[in-house]
Amino acid sequence: MHCVNCAMRLQQLEDDLPGVIAVDASYRRQKMSVQFDETRVSATEIIAAAQRLGYTIRPE
Amino acid sequence: MFAVFPLNVLAVETKGALMTSLWVALITGLTTGGLSCMAVQGGLLASSLASQIEKDLAAGSIGSNRKPSPHIALPIALFLTAKLVVYTLLGALLGGLGQMLQITPTAQAILQFVIAIFMLGNALRMLNVHPVFRYFSFEPPAKITRFIRRQSRNNSSAITSLFLGALTVLIPCGVTQTIMAAALASGNPLTGAALMFAFTLGTSPVFFVLSYFATRLGALAEKYFVRIVAAALILLSVLSFDTGLNLLGSRYSLTRLANNLRSGSQAELANQPTVTSINETLLVLNALDDGYKPKTLHAPANTQLILQVVTQDVHSCSRAFLIPGLDYGVILQATGTQEVEIPAQPPGTVLPFTCSMGMYTGEIIFDL
Repeated sequence: MHCVNCAMRLQQLEDDLPGVIAVDASYRRQKMSVQFDETRVSATEIIAAAQRLGYTIRPE
Repeated sequence: MFAVFPLNVLAVETKGALMTSLWVALITGLTTGGLSCMAVQGGLLASSLASQIEKDLAAGSIGSNRKPSPHIALPIALFLTAKLVVYTLLGALLGGLGQMLQITPTAQAILQFVIAIFMLGNALRMLNVHPVFRYFSFEPPAKITRFIRRQSRNNSSAITSLFLGALTVLIPCGVTQTIMAAALASGNPLTGAALMFAFTLGTSPVFFVLSYFATRLGALAEKYFVRIVAAALILLSVLSFDTGLNLLGSRYSLTRLANNLRSGSQAELANQPTVTSINETLLVLNALDDGYKPKTLHAPANTQLILQVVTQDVHSCSRAFLIPGLDYGVILQATGTQEVEIPAQPPGTVLPFTCSMGMYTGEIIFDL
């Protein structure tokens, strides 16, 4: 994430991916935590969606 | 005889100072501000353009050549107009707040230091010097960004553009926050509004051009823009720090050191004191549109002085005359003579003076 706008772009996954409940992305911490419904979307799909936006994801 | 004037009063009453500030704000907006704000608020503008782009796509007016559609200009213009109005109102609010706080020269100097640190931190953040500098950016709470995003989806394109333009006030970029601090420091709603208006107006062409031709702006160009913004912020932070030093009456500001270098090579015959009585010495200082002349006055020690500050059709911030060491400040007439009583000073004392913006400086050296 280069700036605050990147965090806002990642938060948009809430709207783009059905099953994602809330995205908390922080430019300062360089971290994104996602609340999601496992029956509707998987972690792999979320990671892939973030990667499509141009970000490198390292799961904790 | 000595009086302390809140700096906000000085700033308001000097038309020239205000004009200088407005130009600085406009140019800051036109250069660093536009690029920096675009990085933070560009997403909102993109959202406001989305529905127009969808319409154009449906109508087939956006082809494979990726040329910007003329229809895009309207939502951009609406977005920028709303942004201009809201930030002007914010400036008025901040100026009013500053008025209540009664900002003194010392307080403004401190504010200048804070602004300098903030700008430097932001520049170092943009250059990715260390993760700690990320804390210099304002990160809006997720609730706010979520609210903005959802509103942008639910409104028609014209309303969306106006609404999102207005919402940029919730996510000001680093440079905007600097101008907001300056609006607060102005201590006057009108000045605050004018400052924010000038700055936001300055950012508008950058927003317009970058968003209109966004499809053609490559990653390489963005990288250079970031570096240019960072370099400009570093320069501005140095100037801001220097202004703070001038307002505190420091002898070691860059402005004063440069003045000393210049005056060292020039014979300043006009600054010799004129004895008017046994106990008093008269010094004459000319306040001009481009500063004070002479910049260095030599005066006798242990003697009470009268300093005559002479103006003739002067309209710059040099009219807002401060002697920080004496807590003295006055608004000089555009044309006239202001007498300032200066108490006896020990030998070797240096008494710096400055305009209220810390731009024009000089000093009285008690070495005769």
